[in-house]
Amino acid sequence: MSVSTARRYARLTTVLCGVSLHRLTAYRMDFLIGAASFVIRIACQIALISVIFQYVPSLGGWTQQQALFLLGFSLLPRGLDRLFTDQLWILAWQLVRTGDFFRYMIRPVNPFYSLLSERFLYPDGFGELATGIAIVVTAAGAMDLDLTLVQWLLFLPLVLCGALIHTFIKAFLASLSFWMTSSLNVMVAVNQLSEFTAYPLNLYHPVLRGLLTWVLPFAFTAYIPARYLLTGDTGLLLWTLPVTALTVLLGYGTFRLGIRRYEMPGS
Amino acid sequence: MIRAARRYAPFALAGLHAVTQYRSTIVLSAITAAAATALQVFLWREVYVGGSAPAGLPFVHLTSYIVLAQILGLLHTNRIDELIAGEVYRGDIAVSLVRPVNYALSCLAVNLPTAAVSAVLAGVPVLAGFSLFASLPVPTAANLALFAVAVLLSVALAFQINFLVGLAAFVTTNTWGIRTIKNALVAFLAGQVIPLALFPADVVTLLRLLPFQGLIDSPLRLLLGGYGDWADAGRILAVQAGWVVLLTGVMSLAWRRSLRKVEVLGG
Amino acid sequence: MIVAEHVSKHFKRHRREPGLRGSLRTMFSSQYDLVRAVDDVSFEVPAGVKIAYIGANGAGKSTTIKLLTGIMRPTTGQVRVDGLDPHRRRVEVAHRIGVVFGQRSQLWWDLPVLDSFRVLRHIYEVPRAVYDRNMRLFRDRLDLGALGNTPVRQLSLGQRMRAEIAASLLHDPAVLFLDEPTIGLDLVLKQAVRDLINHVNAELGTTVMLTSHDIGDITGICDQALVVDRGAIVHQGTMRELLRSVDTRAVTFEYAAGSVTEAEALQIIAAELPDVRAIPAESGRIRVEYPVERWSARQVIAVLLNRFDLTDVLVPDADLETLLRRIYAGSPAEPVSVGDGA
Repeated sequence: MSVSTARRYARLTTVLCGVSLHRLTAYRMDFLIGAASFVIRIACQIALISVIFQYVPSLGGWTQQQALFLLGFSLLPRGLDRLFTDQLWILAWQLVRTGDFFRYMIRPVNPFYSLLSERFLYPDGFGELATGIAIVVTAAGAMDLDLTLVQWLLFLPLVLCGALIHTFIKAFLASLSFWMTSSLNVMVAVNQLSEFTAYPLNLYHPVLRGLLTWVLPFAFTAYIPARYLLTGDTGLLLWTLPVTALTVLLGYGTFRLGIRRYEMPGS
Repeated sequence: MIRAARRYAPFALAGLHAVTQYRSTIVLSAITAAAATALQVFLWREVYVGGSAPAGLPFVHLTSYIVLAQILGLLHTNRIDELIAGEVYRGDIAVSLVRPVNYALSCLAVNLPTAAVSAVLAGVPVLAGFSLFASLPVPTAANLALFAVAVLLSVALAFQINFLVGLAAFVTTNTWGIRTIKNALVAFLAGQVIPLALFPADVVTLLRLLPFQGLIDSPLRLLLGGYGDWADAGRILAVQAGWVVLLTGVMSLAWRRSLRKVEVLGG
Repeated sequence: MIVAEHVSKHFKRHRREPGLRGSLRTMFSSQYDLVRAVDDVSFEVPAGVKIAYIGANGAGKSTTIKLLTGIMRPTTGQVRVDGLDPHRRRVEVAHRIGVVFGQRSQLWWDLPVLDSFRVLRHIYEVPRAVYDRNMRLFRDRLDLGALGNTPVRQLSLGQRMRAEIAASLLHDPAVLFLDEPTIGLDLVLKQAVRDLINHVNAELGTTVMLTSHDIGDITGICDQALVVDRGAIVHQGTMRELLRSVDTRAVTFEYAAGSVTEAEALQIIAAELPDVRAIPAESGRIRVEYPVERWSARQVIAVLLNRFDLTDVLVPDADLETLLRRIYAGSPAEPVSVGDGA
């Protein structure tokens, strides 16, 4: 991608985000509900953790604060992803079936970008991101967590890789709708699985753990980076970059293949 | 009664037909339910093994509770909230109002068979699967009978809650956010995420006064013998029934106010 | 400007069987029905022309437009828009074309109309001066300013179509593809849309390709016609040539009530004008359909003036309607000049 193209997309993104924020102020109620929906869901998860730790001092070797840190960290890539890619849900649900996908094909920008741009900065992501930050900060404070310089430097890249993994697993699943007309069910099921990564992965059966690490690599969005930040244990951390790259290639490649066979129904 | 059955039968048939069309949905909901169950079983077993065993729910009943809570959750999953919200958003609700049937009952007729079929088709294999790994105690005939009554009441409650949530579409366009809030709150307050018995005593007392506990906690308490004497069992059913009656009143009130809004907005 | 060379588009349709067993079987079998939506079609449209793409439902009109706009790829053959393959060089082509699908929206559903246009301005990199000029044009001609801050999803169909058409013209496209562009518009707005398209064509030399079931759109906008039947081109030429190929025209008249009965009137016409079909029309009128090789409108009207106490005479524009009705019914109008490649 040339510099001028990159600059063009950056400017477009700014414009689209501005328009979205403008819309947020117009639909304040929607924004609050969207943000609240995540706060409430996460509150339920926090409650689960505190009920559990009423009965046990540690869970699979994780203390309560560490478990909370993991939960909070898992929300960061997830929220970042949701801020920009909510439209993938609509693709999975109905854009192919109704034929409305055509509009991303007639605009002079990358169709994937064009698709995502329709829901930049939808309100729900803000709630997730804000809650995630709050939990991470609180839990880290309670533990007196002291990150090394390397850990500080890696923090944002790890969140970014996690977000990319989320995005392109979703892109892969949503693109299946080009073949199945709707892939919402698969996406809902996988999304539910992805929420498991908010808890210590070592609690689960090895099969489930393997699935979440190598097949649907959600482990790289929370468990693996959070463990590294908490304990300095690099474990599978080095795999993060190749796994992210592979996920991006697979997700985007499937999308391109889907476009090639796209058939717009009806008149 | 028979005439009513005949009038709503087409809705029910249409709903059932949709189920056979979406076999993949059932398979996926079975997988999701199984995975969610597995997650919780792993989580809580760790708690029971690793710490002071909670008194509210004996270990022998733990797996039964978690599996059945998931299956009841499937039975309560109806898309009435989504259906109503969609019709309001698109303005189709005006068309639905023209039909010579009670709107709420037709919603129920469309969704009830679907929910029942998917709960059975997805639930039985999940139950069978888990009974292979863990010995699930067989309930007594009396408890089974009490459970059956409680399940009927729970289905009514689930329908009423979803119907009311669907009507929220008259107030906000972010019905997705509202539904997310509802799903999280209901799963939490009903005892699907955490068995209610495991909460601190004061919280349990409070939660058992709400309508949500009637969805999962009540039926399972009756099935697993988690009540004192017959009077206690009767009280559990009475709270459920009381909420059904109360919510029926709220529903008709909310419905009438929504209709007035349709008239004003023209749908 | 637009070129199609032996273009075909075939769809595979999963053969579905009814019932549970049938649908299970289809899950495991790979039986397809082949649908030839467009079959070996060739044509060329020069720049600046406003051409109507005419054919019955299912004749492949929309499919052709989707091929020309790069939404889908042809199965075989080639399409070119402004010299470029619209699917392979989609982004470049998208800059040069405007598209309206009357049944669908390309606007941002949740954004107010004006915000949509601001976004489009950046997406299409429209220079400020062009943007301002076009927005002024849309305000004057389509009353776009009145839509202001309403989100698109709350617009009526007519309002939304106005916005869609304006959106397709915002970046001064070289080619404009319109698929049923006046659906849902009232008569005044239909006329406004036609005027706007003609204005843009006259000012900027925009090439226009239109499909419509609205005869007013075709006669009001287009100077050329391309007739497709079952996926193949059966006629291409100017609108005038197409109309000249109409072998039957009609005159409708109304006469003073009570002067003659309807049966008598029909008899008179049959006697005076052989080979003519007289059909009673609504509210006591009579429609006279005459073959053009035998009679002229003047002759028919002369007879009518002579024999009836006329209160009203309608001589509709060359009867495209009859022609189209035949095309849509599947039987090609005769005589047709078969694809001479213009």
